Amino acid sequence: MSNYIERFSARERVLHWIVTGSFFTLLLSGLGLYSRLFNGYFTLFGGGRNAIVVHKIAGVVFFLSSLYMYLSHRKEVAAFDADDRSWIEQRGGYLSRKATHFNIGKYNPGQKLFALFIGAATLLLGVTGIFIWSPASFPRWLVQLSLLVHGLFFVLSVMFVIVHVYLATIGNPGTIEAMLWGRVTRPWARKHHPKWYKDVAGE
Amino acid sequence: MAETRKGFLIDTTRCIGCRSCQVACKQWNKLEADKTANQGSFENPRDLTPNLYNRIRFVEQADSNSVKWLFLNERCMHCGDAGCMKVCPSPGALYRTKEGIVAFNREKCISCKYCVSACPFNIPRYGADDKVSKCNLCGDRVAGGMPPACAKACPTQSIQFGNRSELVARAKAAKKSIYGESDLMGLGVVYALEGKPEQYGLPAKPSIPVSIFLWKDVIKPLGILGFWGSVGAMLLHYVTIGPKKLEDETNNKEGSHE
Repeated sequence: MSNYIERFSARERVLHWIVTGSFFTLLLSGLGLYSRLFNGYFTLFGGGRNAIVVHKIAGVVFFLSSLYMYLSHRKEVAAFDADDRSWIEQRGGYLSRKATHFNIGKYNPGQKLFALFIGAATLLLGVTGIFIWSPASFPRWLVQLSLLVHGLFFVLSVMFVIVHVYLATIGNPGTIEAMLWGRVTRPWARKHHPKWYKDVAGE
Repeated sequence: MAETRKGFLIDTTRCIGCRSCQVACKQWNKLEADKTANQGSFENPRDLTPNLYNRIRFVEQADSNSVKWLFLNERCMHCGDAGCMKVCPSPGALYRTKEGIVAFNREKCISCKYCVSACPFNIPRYGADDKVSKCNLCGDRVAGGMPPACAKACPTQSIQFGNRSELVARAKAAKKSIYGESDLMGLGVVYALEGKPEQYGLPAKPSIPVSIFLWKDVIKPLGILGFWGSVGAMLLHYVTIGPKKLEDETNNKEGSHE
């Protein structure tokens, strides 16, 4: 018996990395727009005008791919059961060294909340982005509010992504492999997602 | 800046609505004519355009048996605390001259249009070249010691140009009702009005829009703090509590014979 089981299909992995690539493109091309402090990042794109063009293209790619990713998982990430609630009560065991066991399905509540947040942020950043794209076509108050909301959800997204990257890499060794080539080890699955492991491996 | 700051005193009581200022501005700044249409008012054009840096706003005040006009020269106010400069992400695209003028450099404008949203007076326009356009207070003339074209052309001295503090003092001495003395750290265009600012379509207390203030002065600094806070929290977690390693389990009931 193989020591590995599949966690994400090739389609899911490619979609995830399209979302990731467009997210970081948006981050780098948007930094100079966020503040003059980061004006130097414009040079990555050959100046501010080009950075704006790149930001708009990457924005469309991110909006569509991220929204699609959210919609194709919306049922799994919106349902919280009793095991999820005990995970939330103990913060997933992340705040102490004590070994903890939670009977978690394919996604733990932290991952579900991250998906819900990114889904909402995608929608808000995308819609406000349209208003900022063409300010003359919309009422001034709406564009002004959009600049505020766009900035706020940019900041929150970056903060959530930092946590996401930490937990998926050095915070939980063995996790990133699920998104790189799709497979995780059986011990990893048993430890982190025992309910899911039981479903797929039948053990 | 206070001693060298230049400005306008625009005395609306002297304005006769001749629009010499509009024409002189177009001539000096080599601005194309805009096609306009008769819309039932002497006001023409009805709004600022990328080719129209200043214009006379005609406010019709009708009472029971007569109509009275209020004239207001509408243009960039060259605010002491300029919303456009606050949000502009391209250094040097909008800048302040030593005379206190809010000038622009189209070469450096990156067409983000943030200034359109941040202006308390809705002044900047974008033309066919997708670059910022507004009154530059004839910076080239002022630098050469000449008055701006509009002030030069004004036949009634409604538009007076000079040292801002002197103009304000003169208007105060004449007991004029002045607008823009201290709002936004003083407007570069100070008006002597005949009535309430609202009658002229001016905001009573002009200020940078609240959402723009929250974006640039609250979210921006907190966001930078939030970024480093998140990075720091993750590093702290790693060195204090540490990762969830699978090896933790192998000593317990779970074997790893697969």
